Order: sequence, then C-alpha cells, then structure tokens
Amino acid sequence: MFENLSYAIMQLVHNFGAAAVVGVAIFAIYPAAQPIPIQRKFAWLVGLSWTAQALSGVGFGAVSYYFYEKLPDLYGLAFAALLIKIMCAAGGVSIAIMYLRQAAGWTTEQRSVAWKLLAALGVTALAAAAFLRWFA
Amino acid sequence: MMRISHVLAVSLVFSCYVPGALAADASVAISSPVNGTKFNPKEDINIDYDVSLGDKGDHTHLYVDKNEAVTLRGLKGKHALGKLSSGEHEICIKVVNKAHTPIGAQKCINVSVGPAT
Repeated sequence: MFENLSYAIMQLVHNFGAAAVVGVAIFAIYPAAQPIPIQRKFAWLVGLSWTAQALSGVGFGAVSYYFYEKLPDLYGLAFAALLIKIMCAAGGVSIAIMYLRQAAGWTTEQRSVAWKLLAALGVTALAAAAFLRWFA
Repeated sequence: MMRISHVLAVSLVFSCYVPGALAADASVAISSPVNGTKFNPKEDINIDYDVSLGDKGDHTHLYVDKNEAVTLRGLKGKHALGKLSSGEHEICIKVVNKAHTPIGAQKCINVSVGPAT
C-alpha cells in the first residue's frame, strides 16, 4: 500500500509538472504575448515546475531503491528517452533562471525566443515520456 | 455509534495489513532451453517461459548477458531470440513493477553457442 502510495505521489507531481512546463510556456506567448510582469511570474512557475519534474523523476528511482534496493532497469530507447528528459529539465531550469535574471534587458523578440525554447523543451520531454513508458 | 467507529477502525487496520504469506508471490519458469544447453551457431534460440506477476509485478524484462533484450508483455509463451554469437550466454527473465524495477522474482539460465564437437 505504501509502495503504491509513494509511486502515486511522485506520479502526481510529475503529471502536474508536465502540464505546467508545456501549458504555461505556450500560454505566455499564445494566443497573445502576456504583459511583462505576468511573463516573469510565468517564468517562476515554469522554473519551479521543471525543478519539480527533476525531483519527482529522482523520486521514482528513490522509491524503487527504498523498496527493492534496485533502480529501474532501463536500456536502449527507454534509456535514451530518459536522458532526453533529463536534458530538457536541465535546459528548462537554466532558461527559466536566465529569464528571471536577465530578461529585464531583453527585447520582445528575445523574450519570445525564450518562451518558444521553453515550450519546445516541454513538448520534447512529454514526447520522450511516451517512449520511456512503452519501450522499457 | 462508538462501537461502529471501533469496528470501522479495526477493519481499516486489518485491510491495510496483508501478511507476506497471503500476498501472491511472483514467479518465473523457463521450460526451454534447459540450463546448460549447447546450440549450433546457425541455430535459432527460442525461450519458452511461464510467468506469474504476483501482487507487485507488472510485466517482465528479458535479458541476454545482463542487457535488456526485450519487454515481455505476455505471461506465457515462446519468444524468439534468434541467433546468438559464439560463446557462453546468460539469459534471464525478471518480473518488474510499473516503474520497471525488478521486484526479485527471476529465472536465469546459461547456454553456450559453438560448433558441435
């Protein structure tokens, strides 16, 4: 029971994190670019969501190790998908931090590029998750 | 009212506690090839397996020499491994949970591939 509950809590965080990193990044610029103060709040939200993604991803491994003293067995395409997700999380956190620190001096076009990159990372991670789920 | 709440509390405790002996255990059997079988290099190798996932298993992973070769979704049947390179090989089937973590139930056999002597 506690094993399933532990996995479920990690999955809960991971699912909402996935929705946020894609949805918020897209909503920042589409259908219309949000005002700059709102974009800054969105950058916080996306950065924290990517952090939640990374922590809950580590959490899956931690739960497995706690109950079985083994990490999930991932090879081939599934392992490649996991690496892609890790790189997306690292990129997402980095861009969100850059945005929060430097975007005050950016042009509208530069802000737009940052949001498009964040959206692309979210979509890529979400796509990789499907392959990780079914090729492992 | 007090008595009903006590009964409910005791029921909850017992429903959450599942002794190990009552929990269905996972198991793996490989009926063919048997451990130690020697194959000709041109011979295809097929694995006959029978798996019980138990309470915690979700599916199985098949490994050749420690590397995962394929995910087995069926619980019983035959999987065609094809030809293996010459030498000794370890073939394992492990029951894993939804997070792809081996839960302990597994069966490994050793086979060798080489020209008949």
